[in-house]
Amino acid sequence: MSIVFALATPAAKSAICIFRVSGEGCLKSLNELIEKPLDGHRVFGVRPIYFKKRLLDTVGVISFKGPESYTGEDSFEVYAHGGLGVMSLFVDLFKSAGFDEAPPGEFTKRAFLNGKLSLNEAEAVVDVIDSSAEEDVFLSSQSLSGEFSKAVVGFAEDIDFIRVRVEGEIDFSDEGEDFLDGSLFNDLDNLISRFDLFVGGCLNKKNRLVKNKVLFVGPVNSGKSSVFNRLLGFERALVSNIPGTTRDLIESEVFYNDLSFSIFDSAGLRETDDLIEAKGMALAVDEIGSVDVVVGVFEKNDPVVMAQFSEMAKNKIYIRVLNKIDLGGSGVTGFDCCLSAKTGEGFDFFKAALIDAFAAEDSHSSTYLVRERHISLFGESVLSLKGALGRLKKAEAIELAAEDLKIARSCLDEIVGFKSSDDLLGDIFSTFCIGK
Amino acid sequence: MNKYDVVVVGGGHAGVEAAHAVFRSGLKCALVTFDAEKIGQMSCNPAIGGLGKSHIVREIDAMGGIMPIATDMSGIQYRTLNTRKGFAVQALRVQCDRELYKKGIQKLLNQTDIDIFEDEVVDIVVEKDSVKGVITKTGEVLAEKTILTTGTFLNGIMYTGQDSEKGGRVGDSSSIPLSKKLYSLKLPMGRLKTGTPARIKLTSLNTSAMEEQPGDTPTPWMSLTNKVSEHQKQLSCFITRTSKATHKIIEKNIHLSAMYSGNIVGIGPRYCPSIEDKIFKFKDKDSHQIFIEPEGINKDLVYPNGISTSLPKEVQEQFILSINGMENSIIEEYGYAVEYDFIDPRSLHQTLETHFFKDFYLAGQINGTTGYEEAAAQGLMAGVNAALSIKKEGEFVLDRSEAYIGVMIDDLTTHGITEPYRMFTSRAEHRLLLSQSNAEQRLLRKAHKIKLVDDERMAAFCQDEEEYKKFVTNILEKTKVTEFTNKKKELIKLSEKKSIATILTRPDIDENTIFETTKENKKHLARAAVEIKYKGYIEKQLREIHKNKKQNHKKIPTNFSYANLSGLSNEVVEKLLKAKPETIGSASKIEGVTPAAINLILVMLKKEEIQKAHA
Repeated sequence: MSIVFALATPAAKSAICIFRVSGEGCLKSLNELIEKPLDGHRVFGVRPIYFKKRLLDTVGVISFKGPESYTGEDSFEVYAHGGLGVMSLFVDLFKSAGFDEAPPGEFTKRAFLNGKLSLNEAEAVVDVIDSSAEEDVFLSSQSLSGEFSKAVVGFAEDIDFIRVRVEGEIDFSDEGEDFLDGSLFNDLDNLISRFDLFVGGCLNKKNRLVKNKVLFVGPVNSGKSSVFNRLLGFERALVSNIPGTTRDLIESEVFYNDLSFSIFDSAGLRETDDLIEAKGMALAVDEIGSVDVVVGVFEKNDPVVMAQFSEMAKNKIYIRVLNKIDLGGSGVTGFDCCLSAKTGEGFDFFKAALIDAFAAEDSHSSTYLVRERHISLFGESVLSLKGALGRLKKAEAIELAAEDLKIARSCLDEIVGFKSSDDLLGDIFSTFCIGK
Repeated sequence: MNKYDVVVVGGGHAGVEAAHAVFRSGLKCALVTFDAEKIGQMSCNPAIGGLGKSHIVREIDAMGGIMPIATDMSGIQYRTLNTRKGFAVQALRVQCDRELYKKGIQKLLNQTDIDIFEDEVVDIVVEKDSVKGVITKTGEVLAEKTILTTGTFLNGIMYTGQDSEKGGRVGDSSSIPLSKKLYSLKLPMGRLKTGTPARIKLTSLNTSAMEEQPGDTPTPWMSLTNKVSEHQKQLSCFITRTSKATHKIIEKNIHLSAMYSGNIVGIGPRYCPSIEDKIFKFKDKDSHQIFIEPEGINKDLVYPNGISTSLPKEVQEQFILSINGMENSIIEEYGYAVEYDFIDPRSLHQTLETHFFKDFYLAGQINGTTGYEEAAAQGLMAGVNAALSIKKEGEFVLDRSEAYIGVMIDDLTTHGITEPYRMFTSRAEHRLLLSQSNAEQRLLRKAHKIKLVDDERMAAFCQDEEEYKKFVTNILEKTKVTEFTNKKKELIKLSEKKSIATILTRPDIDENTIFETTKENKKHLARAAVEIKYKGYIEKQLREIHKNKKQNHKKIPTNFSYANLSGLSNEVVEKLLKAKPETIGSASKIEGVTPAAINLILVMLKKEEIQKAHA
């Protein structure tokens, strides 16, 4: 089976992140990545990793020789530094090594197929695959009527029409038909610019989606950082009971229910003569302009302070949170959520409120939900189309342009469906008079 | 009566290739045919190869088959098509002397111990769920394995205008009792149709009014075995076109055509339409191309390729006389459409053994294909698989990524057919890996392993490969130059010395001018130029293939219950039930089957395995 990789830790800024890689031949690829091989298996080693001739990171690596691994195949894990930039570079690195991004449930599926899991566990695997299939079905059926899918189907048809002519020129060159008239270049050129524009649009949509931002504000020492940390599930912001320990905005990304959003923690807003902290506060005030949701964290209902923050968050979706209910603050009114960062009480409700806030914010664009994977496929498709046009213009072997076009079309298979060669031939026969 | 290892029914291109493969496998074979004189007859146009098809012939060649040798014994015009479109889609087409081709095949069969029976097969011998030979008009031929290659003869009916006549080819009869027998066994059968044009005296044509098309010089060879030492005399083909008058005559009489009067139920090939079809379906075209193909060296006859028809004889004559250069045509034989039985190839394993009977194989047009090359390839595969099965040496199945033959058999057995199936290069998704020039590199070692080719040829091949490797490492990688001439004949100076291997990666290079080559080197250089230029694409395709190789070869049991899979749409379940894919790889090639569906099938297969182990 192919080599797949996945980020095993949340896609959030953290101390370290872990990538898992599995598949036949992956240990050979690993040795190419780390230059100096590990001394045996199940042995931890520290190695520099380079990407495009530049040092990417110094990482911890451990390798597992199949079948002594979770999946039963050769596998390895990489422990890298947990910045979002580093993570995305690792994704690029693995892709350039020929690895594929693992779909949901892939590692478990492999473990099962290689006899590493029991039958009961297999049921769970089926569920995972089922749900991802369902999601795909949902996406495609939703898009059938949607603007988005119509556009993609249109591009696929345009590519097909160009392929009909190019394949016709190859398979029926002795038929006295003129397959490649001047309109081909124009059609292809035109298709590329329209498709390019579309991909750009998708990227904007995606960025909009990803940049849904939450800002945590609140009086000094109200527990913003603790709430924030509890929400993400691990220690991130510096937390102490000395007022004003959070000195900077801390950006992180959290994913719930397919929505991804960033959270900014900010220093408590107060008059300060500490320069560093003042800077952090200024950032927070600036930041409010670009966020979608503001979370106010308080430890009590102080009408003056509350009004001050409400004023600051006007025109934004504003969620007022009462923290530290473990200390006995229950019964206080005027808040949307009551919770305790220390015990975790009330967080389910808080998360639901956050998701609702984004659902409300995003409802107008939900039919246009574009996945990262689809955008990268579209990008590859456009690139292949450009390759084909270049080759056709330079009058290089047409079979290579045909290959580029085939790749360009196959990038859309997942959304539009696979086009069989027999269908393509059918189009040739109905468009051109062929045959002796 | 003798008992044979294998009995082959039919002496066409599938039958002879099947019988010869059994012989090469070292087993005893019988071949039953109506008329031994007609063995190896080309029933349609006298040409072998062409786009997508020469690839198959070279694959047959790499596995020791006889079609390519007979082609060279009889080739009277060799033309390479698609020369400027890339190496992988280049194809050699050979016009053959119809008589010499047949004689060539018969000569090659005479050098074997194959027993030939001139008889009609009327029934098959069925014991339990297995076929044990055939019953003929005069007796029976028993065998461990039976291969049916009935071509257009199974319940063949020929149509010209309103007349119809039983037979699979002009002057020959039709296998009607056998067809009845097969229908009575309730096999999944249907009707297909094909057509052929009139045959005309060469001396009655004014070829000077046509465009002459000579063959390639120097004349190439179809077979790479060097078994034929000298070419036949080379002839030209001619090209002419239908006129407006031709179209008028056909339009006026179209209701008289057998195909348009509703007499024929069989489905014809879209890529090989009759002239009636061309004129009816493409009304805006006012002219169609016709290839005038010579029938032989000393034969005053041509095959006018492009005007196959089932119009009445007098209409045929009228429209032929309206064609440029054919005004004085003397017609020797009239065109006709032929309708025949086929068996749904989805009822075959990839070995071409049937699902419904053991020891029973089908090859050629009976499986819904058209074309000599497609038939011959299936014959070879059925023959070798029958032999391997007797010797208990497993199966010989080619992958889609290693041979056009693999593509064809996988297409047939997985998707079935909706019209007579012929090969096109666009059917092969790994087209760039499968050129007509690398068939030996792809298949010879495999074929040698199962004794389809002998040690001598294998040794010669290995030596050649060794020399090629040396040529690349010792000459191409070590010779450094500072300048070269590009395709526009401009001298390009390089800033530093570079090896020829590096320079060959440039798209603008003309490899023939880069340095003086000997004849041997020239062959190697051509190959190296391709391998170096296409490296990126080839590596990409290879990665694709290896990615899921293990998974793709995983077998799906015939009785696998797709209906029990939750998460599959009814539509997908229906498609899978219909196609009965034998492997995960075939299943993934069915339209509408998503990667998620494949995952589900894999998980269920494993689950069944575990359950069986615990039972």
